Amino acid sequence: MSQDWFSCTENKLWQALQQAKPTRRNLLLGAGFSLAAWAGTRSSLAELKVSKVGKNRPHDVLVNVFLRGGADGLNIVAPYFEDAYYRKRPNLSIASPKDRRSGVAARLLDLDGKFGLHPSLAPLLNFYREGKLACLHACGSQDATRSHFEAMAAVERGLAAEGPGPASGWIARHMALTESPTDSPLRAVAFSGTLPDMLRGAANAVALESLADFKLNTPEDKQIHFEKALLDLYKGDKDEVAHAGQETLAVLSSLRKIDPKSYQPSNGAKYPTSDLGNGLRQTACLIRANLGLEIASLDRTGWDTHFAQGSTVGILPLALDDLGQSLAAFATDMGSDMNHVTVVVMTEFGRRVAENSSLGTDHGRASFMMLMGGGTMGGQIYSKWPGLEDHQLDETGDLRVTTDYRDVLSEVVKNRMRNDNLSEVFVGYQPQPVGLTKPI
Amino acid sequence: MSGVSRRDCLRIGLMGSAASALGGCAKLANHFVEHQYDSALPAGKTDETARLVQRLTFGPRPGEIAAVQSMGRITYVDSLIRADEKEDMRLQFLLNRLDVFQMDPYDTQDLPEREVLRQLQMAAILRAAYGKNQLHERMVDFWTNHFNIYGRKGLAAFRKATDETNVIRKHALGSFPEMLKASAHSPAMLIYLDNQSNVSGRANENYAREIMELHTMGVKGGYSQKDVQEVARCFTGWTIERRFLHHRWAYIFEEEKHDNGVKHVLGHTIPAGGGKQDAEHVLEILANHPATAHHLATKLCTYFLGADGEKWVDRTAQTYLNSKGDIPSMIRPILVSDDLMNSPPILKRPFDYIVSSIRALEADTDGGEAIQTHLAALGEPLYQWPMPDGYPSNTGAWTGTMLPRWNFAYQLASNTIRGTEVNWPELVRENNPEKLFELTHARRAGSQDRVLLQKLTQEMSHGTKGYEGAGFLCLASPSFQWR
Repeated sequence: MSQDWFSCTENKLWQALQQAKPTRRNLLLGAGFSLAAWAGTRSSLAELKVSKVGKNRPHDVLVNVFLRGGADGLNIVAPYFEDAYYRKRPNLSIASPKDRRSGVAARLLDLDGKFGLHPSLAPLLNFYREGKLACLHACGSQDATRSHFEAMAAVERGLAAEGPGPASGWIARHMALTESPTDSPLRAVAFSGTLPDMLRGAANAVALESLADFKLNTPEDKQIHFEKALLDLYKGDKDEVAHAGQETLAVLSSLRKIDPKSYQPSNGAKYPTSDLGNGLRQTACLIRANLGLEIASLDRTGWDTHFAQGSTVGILPLALDDLGQSLAAFATDMGSDMNHVTVVVMTEFGRRVAENSSLGTDHGRASFMMLMGGGTMGGQIYSKWPGLEDHQLDETGDLRVTTDYRDVLSEVVKNRMRNDNLSEVFVGYQPQPVGLTKPI
Repeated sequence: MSGVSRRDCLRIGLMGSAASALGGCAKLANHFVEHQYDSALPAGKTDETARLVQRLTFGPRPGEIAAVQSMGRITYVDSLIRADEKEDMRLQFLLNRLDVFQMDPYDTQDLPEREVLRQLQMAAILRAAYGKNQLHERMVDFWTNHFNIYGRKGLAAFRKATDETNVIRKHALGSFPEMLKASAHSPAMLIYLDNQSNVSGRANENYAREIMELHTMGVKGGYSQKDVQEVARCFTGWTIERRFLHHRWAYIFEEEKHDNGVKHVLGHTIPAGGGKQDAEHVLEILANHPATAHHLATKLCTYFLGADGEKWVDRTAQTYLNSKGDIPSMIRPILVSDDLMNSPPILKRPFDYIVSSIRALEADTDGGEAIQTHLAALGEPLYQWPMPDGYPSNTGAWTGTMLPRWNFAYQLASNTIRGTEVNWPELVRENNPEKLFELTHARRAGSQDRVLLQKLTQEMSHGTKGYEGAGFLCLASPSFQWR
């Protein structure tokens, strides 16, 4: 990432901000303490061994796309070689790639002779064939509550299951352990209304919905005046809101340098106008603007398909249309810069193998993951497939988890984010490398 | 919660995970010695009466804190707990104009969904801003999130008005078991959590899981996946009327879709052939369960006491059990306690923030689309949280949206929100910065308050022209973000 972000020191407001801001480490530790102060608990951020990885290490931009609601891995990367898949999903299963009874557009896209990609993800097929996209299956956490909130909290905190452990997010811990080349306030951006748990406790992380609209709406000639006034009000305290206010002012200051509205995607990429499409488009804009972005977090909801999930027409296919088009547009737009980007697609859990009475599926266990980027050894399915027959499923009838999600993320952190301190990011876990990424 | 639309990825942020206990604190302790850190919460002590008013209402209106001081807190709390004051004519007039509360729910389908949501939100904003029974409105906010219904799921929006009236508003300061029962019979809930299609042989577990995890026992309440499946069986056939010439959309029990076998729920055997009584029995088991008492007590204590809630949980849970779930009995001891007056600040959620701004400046609002747009920009469009856990209450979920708060503050202060107006000349007479300060800030000893006062003096030296800048800084200031 480039250093040119610092050119903004010409800006007086920015100078004031620099003075106002405690050092990044203090900020982090301060935030850690603060959680503890009232709650009587401790944030693990303060517990990190503060031996950081060097500033100038080359590393990828990590783009985390979280499918919230429990995405049905079995219909997204479908095991069409399993009879049980068709037996247990008489209405919801998707025709195998060679099933002539269905039109071509309604069949799975063959990946490896056993698994097929949902037809709505067709825009991703070429990336898979070119070896830039890898799919994983039967992965997940050890959390068996089948509660969205527990499962998400576990995964975002980087734990086996929700329970004792650091309260901070795994990405926040990764950030605390590594030096940012620029100390940019835009080191991590969540394109959402709120900061996700995986960024909890992170300094230099901001939630925003639109780069273009990210400005104070006072008359333009008064913006600097009021930003200064706000800074005076916000710099005095060190609580969570004071931090957030200071960070927001720093982001305002740095975004003054770019014009997101005029951003033109490269290579003819066409982003859908969905929130995910817009988020990825803005991610690309930030990467291209060299503003020090290291982490982008995007959410996509609509996966909790208890009802009217559909096979090739329904709620899931619509969500997948958006996912496939958005990711494809992003990868196309990034072009060869994808060599320095890793996209992780994940969800909190998968869904029951057997369909329910509402043409939907209930909460299950294992699901799929996807990795995309130049450092990904794609074109393959990584899975220790547990099978779909009754005796192969767990006691509730769910796909077993055979790959811990932390094995996948650990590899990304180590190989692509260049942070070896995995035991602090995924506390108490010994990751088993999957072998799906190349080290930088 | 299927059918979640595109817009919503924005809204799903922090899914409240409780801060957890950690081991190994020696290293940590060293850090504390090395550095002087402040807390997560702002320094400085808030005026005790101000705290009381902030917790029981949607924020003090001009003069309200002084009035409460002279009334005494017991009288104040008891007057609010009774919640029997007639609403004033103007509010009643505005509410009476809203179709969604006047029409039969089935007929509201003639309206566009966004109009239904607009009216629902309008009612909520107007009631929170101007309602006399402020504690009741606060509890409505609490229970609306507890029994969250996502208005954009299926046709849930069209049923939400009935749910709001018959479940939430009716029981917000009443009996929890009654509210639970009402919710289980509420067409909006049956739609939202898919129970309308929960039928014998192929159960849909969605409602069964959430009624235990979120509405009653809590995720650590001690039920198993097997319990979820058994409860789902008990609720088979609980659906809504769809037949022509019947009272469409009313709750009905469809005998032929019910699983009439024996069920085992949380150690209770529910004998075969119970029909509708199966789930009624489940509702009783859940309402009487100690885990339910604990779960509700934890949420209520946190709602009123913030980070200090913990020490009130056990006795509040006990009160729940002793009083058979009487909500006023649970909360009254908390509300009259010194602990409440001295409790640490709680970050205002967007709805709180916007309504407390309106109240502090005595703004005249129609609660309409323009102000609702701000509510959405701040991250809390009402009845539009897709997940069944309701909007998060932890600070970290909301600190990402400071800018939209500031932008709301500027627009409110500069009178550029359509349908909402601050009467500055009426509000701040004599061009006195201290008077303006008092509207939004109870006396605190924080140094930030002095900085703010300086700024206000500066802005107001431009005469009345400076009010919008001064008002903006008051509302945008860090301390006004807390209550």
